[in-house]
Amino acid sequence: MATITQKSKLGWFESKRGRRVLENLTAYMFLAPASLIIFTFGIFPVAFAFFISLHRWRRFPDEFRGLDSYVEAIGNLAFVLFFWIALIAAVFGLYTLWKMYKQTGEDNNQKALALIIPSIAVASALFAFASWFFRLLFFIFLIPRRLQGQEKSTSIFVQELISSFQAENVVAAASIMGLLVILAVVILIITGRFLKIPQRLHYFVIALRGFVALGISFFLMRLTLSEIQIAIDEARAAAESAPIWSQIIFISLGAALIFFAMWLWNRTVHDHADNQPVMKLFVVVAAIIGAVLLIMYVPPSLADAEDDVLKGFKVVTLYALFSVPITLALGLSLAVLLYQKIQAKSFFRVVYFMPYITPFVATSVVFSLLFSHRTGSPANQFINIFGLEPQRWLLEPKGIVQLVLGDGVPSFLSGPGLALFVIIMYSIWTYAGYSTVIFLAGLGNIPTDVYEAARIDGANAWQQFRHMTLPLLSPTTFFLLLISTIGTFQAFTQIFLMRRAGAYDAVDTINIYIYQEITTGRPDYAFGSAMAFVLFSVILILTFIQNRMVGRKVFYG
Amino acid sequence: MANINQSMAQVKSEKSAKAVTPRRPIKWGQVAIYIVLGGGAILALLPFIWMINWSFMVSDADITVGKFVPTRLMPDNIRAAQANPEAYITQEGRDFNVLRDYIFGNYTTVWEQAEFGKFMWNSARLTAITVSGLLLFCIPAAYAFARMDFYGRNVLFAIMLTTLMIPHIVTLIPNFLTVIWISRLSDTLIGLPWMANWPGLTVPFMASAFSIFLLRQFFSQIPVDLWDAARIDGANHIQFLIRVVIPLSRAPIMTVVTFAFIGSWNSLLWPLLITPASETWMPIAAALTNFVQTEAGDEFHWQMAGSVIMVLPILVLYFVTQKQFTEGIYSGSVKS
Repeated sequence: MATITQKSKLGWFESKRGRRVLENLTAYMFLAPASLIIFTFGIFPVAFAFFISLHRWRRFPDEFRGLDSYVEAIGNLAFVLFFWIALIAAVFGLYTLWKMYKQTGEDNNQKALALIIPSIAVASALFAFASWFFRLLFFIFLIPRRLQGQEKSTSIFVQELISSFQAENVVAAASIMGLLVILAVVILIITGRFLKIPQRLHYFVIALRGFVALGISFFLMRLTLSEIQIAIDEARAAAESAPIWSQIIFISLGAALIFFAMWLWNRTVHDHADNQPVMKLFVVVAAIIGAVLLIMYVPPSLADAEDDVLKGFKVVTLYALFSVPITLALGLSLAVLLYQKIQAKSFFRVVYFMPYITPFVATSVVFSLLFSHRTGSPANQFINIFGLEPQRWLLEPKGIVQLVLGDGVPSFLSGPGLALFVIIMYSIWTYAGYSTVIFLAGLGNIPTDVYEAARIDGANAWQQFRHMTLPLLSPTTFFLLLISTIGTFQAFTQIFLMRRAGAYDAVDTINIYIYQEITTGRPDYAFGSAMAFVLFSVILILTFIQNRMVGRKVFYG
Repeated sequence: MANINQSMAQVKSEKSAKAVTPRRPIKWGQVAIYIVLGGGAILALLPFIWMINWSFMVSDADITVGKFVPTRLMPDNIRAAQANPEAYITQEGRDFNVLRDYIFGNYTTVWEQAEFGKFMWNSARLTAITVSGLLLFCIPAAYAFARMDFYGRNVLFAIMLTTLMIPHIVTLIPNFLTVIWISRLSDTLIGLPWMANWPGLTVPFMASAFSIFLLRQFFSQIPVDLWDAARIDGANHIQFLIRVVIPLSRAPIMTVVTFAFIGSWNSLLWPLLITPASETWMPIAAALTNFVQTEAGDEFHWQMAGSVIMVLPILVLYFVTQKQFTEGIYSGSVKS
């Protein structure tokens, strides 16, 4: 009897539709745990960090502060940054929608434009959900404060949890969300029923993406404009001038001119146009005007910025400028040598790769002893061979150029402090082997017959390297350039272990400041998040520039 | 058979004939290459050599004056120590043992008195939990992305991959706050706090987009015919995954395990935040940092012994699973 019922139960799953449902259910079951973790600790935190940065948030969430944390960190440049992010989101949204419009025309599928209605509905439902969710989150994160001093009890906790859902503005957001979700579902069902066209889902996703971008842009723009207005009003009340708008306009203009120059340069060089000299003159003029505008307007906009943040960016820039090119050059030369016909290849590879996988904590401790300030330290003994005075290495904040040429060198030319220089050497030591191994993989992907052809044509070793290996290796180089730049911007362990009192200013990066901001007795999570976001946007801008400048020259075979 | 033997003998004789021919002139280019590569290898190894040397010094004074030879390994010193054992006994009420109390004395001190034994055990436990969680969650997810047909597959996969582009520092503060909150919740509901405890240190790392991506690439190369055959035999997805896919994918799984192992063993920032003062679950990386920055500020010989202890498991793992390593590194760098 039991078997019969089981069979009939399985019967539905044996049908075509049943099998599909079963497959979907199994897949979601397989995905659920990993997706939950990746969403909670990988994707949601980005929005959450932004939410935190907009509030006063010491141990517990507090009042809304708008962009104040950002202004505290990078001064008026924060307004410029947000203005641009909002603008870019708007352009992206409009461009996506325009592309969809064009594509429907090409596919002769004009009916797909009707999908704009459900995508607007779904996008607004999503925004309503986000609004409700973050309002709720605010109250949920207040629970521990309300529980302070009370004894640990499940029932009180659950009670607090329920009351968070019932807070006044949470309920208001929930009712709006409920309305919009119902509307979206109804519209979706209607479209699903009556709009039977090819590639429905594809167009729907594109339109949804466009409207979500437009929504984000609207939110950011409104926030930025109101914050700018507040700042200007405050300055007026204090009878000061607030040149925020002129800063926004001129900094944007400067950056735009430089990008225009870059674009024009690429075009001129690629097209081999007849009017090259004129175009090049244009490029130079545009670049100079852009640079002058930036030099004139960026420093004043940073006048109110936190000193530590500026220092942190200066340090990380020097760190990347010195370590990345040397690491890549070293990695490339070692890889090319290893690629020759030699014995014990794998031995060398294993040895070169060792520094990269060894725990950074341990090797940083070793390096801080190798470069200790004592006369007996290996570094001091080594430079003693050349008759040089013992140095204070990790304790020395002075720039290396200053140390070599004397104190007369102006500070902006002094280069990285000697302490940072040691950390740069450490970073070269760890990452050179890594880039060697990656370059080796890249070299292995180059077909050998090209070389034979070159040899027959009489190319010598240098010519082969310069005109064949380098261009064919450019995707690998590009990948390594991106990875190592981002890596230096995220460095924490080695700096945390090698920073010494007296040279803090010379080595502390943004990451160290963020760590200190959240581990002090009075943590400021909002300011930490704001710094993290500024760092994130700098990384994104760098990636974009590298993509434009280097990515263009990458040759994918 | 005889034929084969004959040809083998022929090959052998050819080889020996080659060996007899006069030596070719030395290629100076080759020599230069070896010199450069060897120099690089020495530079790469030097810090390790110093680390081991210093871990065998009698006291930190040997390090500060710049001695290179490990003083605890010198026969004279060992004899002197044997003559005067009381000075070197690392724990009271224990007989003197040359190996334990003198030659490896720094290691013994660090292991027993600075409790590195406990921290190593913590790291081992944490790593084991993280890696098993990772396998348990990522293998099915990767399988679903590679082999199953479900609604929203591409969108979900694209969203998952975007996490690879988000810097860790952005997610650090919100994740910290989330874990503090979950800790509170979990503590009141089931009595298992997350802060300063294993869930806070492991759960956030039990799924990674990189591992899922790596496994998916391999799973989608498994021929479809195998699945068809298995389905005809009445297997479902779970059975096919356990009986066929996992045994076939030992190599990529080893790669994922190795990377997760290293990541978990080496991570510092997160453990520093999650286990600020509590030692019950503090991993070795955070413990060594604390040891260096507070307890053993000037005891360099102990710092070095601690560093060697921390490095050893990773190096052993590296030498054992070198091949998986290189493969993982390559597949991470291949443009997609």
